[in-house]
Amino acid sequence: MASRVLIVEDSDLVVDALRVLLVDAGYEVDAAATVADAVERASASPVDVMLLDLTLPDGNGLEVMESLRNAGALPRATLAMTGHNDSRARRSCIEAGCAEVLLKPVPIGELLRQIERQLA
Amino acid sequence: MIMSEKLDPAALSKRLKALERQVEEDRRTIDELRSHDELKTKFLSNISHDLRTPLAAIITHAEILRDGMLGALNKKQGESVSGIVHGGQQLLDMIDEILTYVRSASDQVTLTKSDFSLPELADQVRSFNESLAAKKRITIERLNGDDLPLVYADRDKIKHVFGNLIGNAIKFTSDGGRVWIAFSEINGDACVEVGDTGRGIARSHHELVFKEFAQVDASPSRPHHGTGLGLAIARRLVELHSGRIWVESELGKGSKFFFTIPLNPARD
Repeated sequence: MASRVLIVEDSDLVVDALRVLLVDAGYEVDAAATVADAVERASASPVDVMLLDLTLPDGNGLEVMESLRNAGALPRATLAMTGHNDSRARRSCIEAGCAEVLLKPVPIGELLRQIERQLA
Repeated sequence: MIMSEKLDPAALSKRLKALERQVEEDRRTIDELRSHDELKTKFLSNISHDLRTPLAAIITHAEILRDGMLGALNKKQGESVSGIVHGGQQLLDMIDEILTYVRSASDQVTLTKSDFSLPELADQVRSFNESLAAKKRITIERLNGDDLPLVYADRDKIKHVFGNLIGNAIKFTSDGGRVWIAFSEINGDACVEVGDTGRGIARSHHELVFKEFAQVDASPSRPHHGTGLGLAIARRLVELHSGRIWVESELGKGSKFFFTIPLNPARD
């Protein structure tokens, strides 16, 4: 069965691009644009890898991690994606339990490698 | 006459009131200018962030096509799509530079310090730039520094400074030229030199190059484009570390950029 990837990102343009990439790479892809939507989708059906944008309309992306941890529904791995290379933000992502922090736009080869590594 | 005017309480009080009015007016003007400046910074920050998102999508789509994920491309198609990726990345670098500048200008930058080796960091940035230099047959050498003590500073910020200085050195040096990095200790500071055999900078422009949006050749037809923010950011980042940055250069004789980082700063 295909691994399930949840894209948490509020830009449709970015979601569309990632969806094309990940569907082609053979993943089952779901997307959420808000903290609330992400928590709901990840709780409803287990997620293997979550790609998590940090700036969402209803809060900080890391709040998704907190809610899912409390609900016992954390994905196998979470890759945070940020637009700014900031060491403080990077540290808080790792502390929150993200496996990696990637700078957007992540080159597609690197993104696919990162996802594969988390699933290995 | 002057004495009597000074001593006349009525005249004194009148002048005092006029001065108070003037001070109040100046204060209002300063507040207004400050708020305009903040608004401009905020605008620049928002617009840069908003430009970044669709650009990220464009680059990802172009990479998907370039890598043949949706079907093989012929040579010309491949070159064309690679051009989209390359152009997009260049634009992204410029947007990121504006965002970094906005953050540093509005004091949103905090330093995350650790102990690290400046020469090792220089080597890392050097190897990152080697392919760019190779295209112009430019060599990048590190001349010394193995015995330089560690510095306690923000590694990412200093990496940014190295990236800017080495990137500029390559950009403004003709094919077949040389770029070098050297280290020394001056009055308790680590001093870094990034030199090149490029076109050089006239003495009258030595201050200008560190100013925001400044380029020595600012005409639309200038051969080198950019935001004109790189060295302004580098200066800000060095000064946040209580260091200094300057250039020694003459037209036609290459440039040497220097910056200092204190070797034993207070630990926080």
